[in-house]
Amino acid sequence: MKGLEVSCLQLGLERQRRPVLSEISCVFKPFELTAVVGPNGAGKSSLLQALAGVLAPSAGHIELDGQPAERISPAQMARLCAYLPQAETPAWSLRAADLVALGLLPWGRPKDRERRVSAALQLVDAQQLAERPVTRLSGGELRRVQLARLLVGEAPLLIADEPTAALDIRHQLQLMHTFRRQADAGKTVVLALHDLPMAARFCDRILLLEQGRLVAQGTPEDVFTPALIGDVYGVTCEFRWRDGVADFVPLDLL
Amino acid sequence: MSSSDKLALTLLLLALPLALVAALVSGPVSIDLGAALTQGWRSESSDAVILWQLRLPRALLAILVGAALGMGGAAMQGMLRNPLAEPALLGVSSGAALAAILLLYYGSALQASWGSAWQSGWLLPALAIAGAFSAVGCVWLLAGRGAGAGQLVLAGVAINAFLSALMALALNYAPSLFAMQEIVFWLLGSLANRGWDQLLLALPFVLLGAILLFSARNYLRALSLGEDSAASLGYRGRRYPLSILLGIAAAVGAAVAVAGTIGFIGLVVPHLMRPLVGQDPGRLLWTSALAGALLLLLADILVVNFVGAQELRIGAVTAFIGAPFFFWLIVSARRGQQL
Repeated sequence: MKGLEVSCLQLGLERQRRPVLSEISCVFKPFELTAVVGPNGAGKSSLLQALAGVLAPSAGHIELDGQPAERISPAQMARLCAYLPQAETPAWSLRAADLVALGLLPWGRPKDRERRVSAALQLVDAQQLAERPVTRLSGGELRRVQLARLLVGEAPLLIADEPTAALDIRHQLQLMHTFRRQADAGKTVVLALHDLPMAARFCDRILLLEQGRLVAQGTPEDVFTPALIGDVYGVTCEFRWRDGVADFVPLDLL
Repeated sequence: MSSSDKLALTLLLLALPLALVAALVSGPVSIDLGAALTQGWRSESSDAVILWQLRLPRALLAILVGAALGMGGAAMQGMLRNPLAEPALLGVSSGAALAAILLLYYGSALQASWGSAWQSGWLLPALAIAGAFSAVGCVWLLAGRGAGAGQLVLAGVAINAFLSALMALALNYAPSLFAMQEIVFWLLGSLANRGWDQLLLALPFVLLGAILLFSARNYLRALSLGEDSAASLGYRGRRYPLSILLGIAAAVGAAVAVAGTIGFIGLVVPHLMRPLVGQDPGRLLWTSALAGALLLLLADILVVNFVGAQELRIGAVTAFIGAPFFFWLIVSARRGQQL
């Protein structure tokens, strides 16, 4: 599979005429799993929406493999990038398998649709939910079905906004392994995460946002320091590293 | 789709020609259907005239109008992601109705100068279609650039309210009791005394609407996930909502123009069909068109067979079917079932 390199140059974004992102410059590469972290309201979701082409930047620009994003048609963009928003509420009580199949819309009606849908459901341990109407699923079950929708296509760029938020610990781990394997296979994966130890363990790169600005980027060891995290989140904390796994202990409010 | 759903859809498809035959033999005069059919549409015999000039165009118009309303309702609910939306919500029907009322209102004055157009019966529907498009245009302008479903609904409700106020004003100052009666009856909706002229006028608009709506069916599917997800699946920009709005204006505007405002079909039919198509908003379009056609044809058979001093208006019949359906919706929601 051919990977996709995404670069943001001096990216700025406004919502209702208020700036929510400014001067973001960063690069997302194939084979890399990147976590975007930061406090509530830091601009994580906005950055992901801009990357997915859902929101148009108000300043700077985004390039995909050197091609300016604004010159890519929506249909072409949909084949390059799969995106799962933070809160996605299905309007109708579709069958779970039908919801997953919507992820194949950018590719028309591929012949092996059913096989792909069941393979995607298997990736998130949800094959037994295939026939269930999505309104009868629990929050975590629905989230897994939605993640299968994200994974069912062939897009080289995967973007998910807090994919693990509603999941139990077993499914959190399983999902992070899945994203890790997708990155190892050459995809460019960008996740917004609140779980810092999970980000430290699975991700190659961390982007730390605060009030719409990129405060730090680098490997988990570079970014997850008590000084940096403590400062941005307004807490005192400790990181104890063991074999690339961070034991993160928030201690108190700053 | 389960096999029982397929069976239900096949039965619907088979029921339509049966209902058509029933409509052709229904009426105050009993005719020899076989003879009338073989005599052909040029025949001067009374049976043939009743069949070819009265019953057949009326039944086909019921099918066309019902299909437009059912399809328009399915598209509107899909676009607004709301099962309570109906095609009238965005002012399409009231735009058409206001234009028609104004014509009925100033009709006598116009009759003199537009005599021939008035006689042929296409002037009113043509103006009503223009009214429907104008209403949707106003909604589109008021909602503004990049409007989501929420803003569209708000703009639609506002335009709708304004048009209703104008209609109330027109009724208030109706020049004569006769004009007022004509307006009120027109608002109740009717398929009586319609012929090939109305059918041929509405047909291209309903077909245009159907093409616009069906071409946006994958947008409606993607939209079941929400606007951001639909955008990420490639359905971004104003093109798709615009094609839905124009499709509804064309199909429903034309339906209202030839038959008056007929409520509840657009609201009820998508609900009835949704379980049969696995809630897929794409397939819901054609199944709702089919069921809307069948329902309105059956309602019109009821109207034709109703014996009374006054003609029973079809809008009243569909409301009588529609309102109890709402009771049923509320009761089943109380039992914890999905709307």
